[in-house]
Amino acid sequence: MTIRTIEVREPVMARNNELAREVRRRLAEHDITAFNLVSSPGSGKTTLLERTLSTLGSELGIAVITGDVQTRNDAERLEHHTTRLVQAVVTGGACHLDARQVLDGLDAIDLAATHLLFIENVGNLVCPASWDLGETAKIVVFSVTEGEDKPLKYPKMFREARYAVLNKIDLLPYVPFDLDRAIDNARQVNPGLGFFMTSALTGRGLGDWCDFLRRETHRLVAVG
Amino acid sequence: MHELSVAFEVCRMAEERLGHDARRLRLVGLVVGDDAGVEPANLAFCLDALLGQPPFGAASVLVNRSPGDALRVEYYEVDDDNPDD
Repeated sequence: MTIRTIEVREPVMARNNELAREVRRRLAEHDITAFNLVSSPGSGKTTLLERTLSTLGSELGIAVITGDVQTRNDAERLEHHTTRLVQAVVTGGACHLDARQVLDGLDAIDLAATHLLFIENVGNLVCPASWDLGETAKIVVFSVTEGEDKPLKYPKMFREARYAVLNKIDLLPYVPFDLDRAIDNARQVNPGLGFFMTSALTGRGLGDWCDFLRRETHRLVAVG
Repeated sequence: MHELSVAFEVCRMAEERLGHDARRLRLVGLVVGDDAGVEPANLAFCLDALLGQPPFGAASVLVNRSPGDALRVEYYEVDDDNPDD
C-alpha cells in the first residue's frame, strides 16, 4: 500500500466565503445595506421586522430574506407589512442560512429598488455565527426572558455581531433579568458592541432603532 | 446539525479536489480550533458516516485541535496502490 499525502490547508468555509464575497459585491453594486439578524428562537426577530417594515416601509425599499427550518410562517407574517421583496428560505433541517441561499435569494429581489436588506436567520445562537452571508453586519437579538448570561454562554455569536438588540424590555418588571449585568456580559466578549433597547411589541425604543437604520442606509430615496 | 453541514462541505471539497481519486481517499486531516464553534467528536462522527459511502471508499478522519477559530482541511491521504483501481 502506497499512501500519498496531499497538502490542502484550505478553510472549510472557503467556498461559502467566496459566495459571501459575491453577495457583498452585488449589494455594493446597488448600494444596499444588509443586516443579518441572529438570535435564539423566540427572541422577537420577526416582530421587530414587522414593526420596522410598518415604520420605514414607505420611506425605504426594504427587502427581507427569512430562513426557517420548516414553514414559511415568518415570511407570511412579514408579507402583511409589505407588498414585495420577502423571500423565504426553508432550510429543510439545516440550522443556519449559508451564502449560497442568500445569493439565490438576491436573484428574486429587485435590487435596484432596495436600500436595506434584512436576512432573518434561523433561530439559533450557535451555528449562524460561523457563516458569513455577505452582510454588512450581524445584529444579535436577545430578549429579557432569556437570561443575562446569554453572551457568556454563546460568546462567538456576540463576538461576531456588531450590534445587539435587547428586546422585550416591556417584560423587565416581570422577569428576574439584570439589564446592567447583561450589557456587562456582552461587552466582556465584545467591547465594541452597540446596543438598542426595544420592545417590538409596544414600540418602545424603536425610534432609536429606526433612526439607526436610516443612518446606515446609504440612499434615503422615497419608494415610488 | 451544524456539524453535519460542515461535514458535507468537507466531503464536497474532497470530491472537487480528488475527482475520480475520491474512492482512493483513506484519511482526511482536519484542524478544528477551540473557538471554531464546532464540536470535534460530533464532526468526526458525521464524517465517518459520509466518508464510508460513495464516491468515497473507506476513508476516515483525524481531527487535530488548535487554539483559535481555525476550521480547515489540512491534508488528504490517498492510497495509490488500491487494487480496485
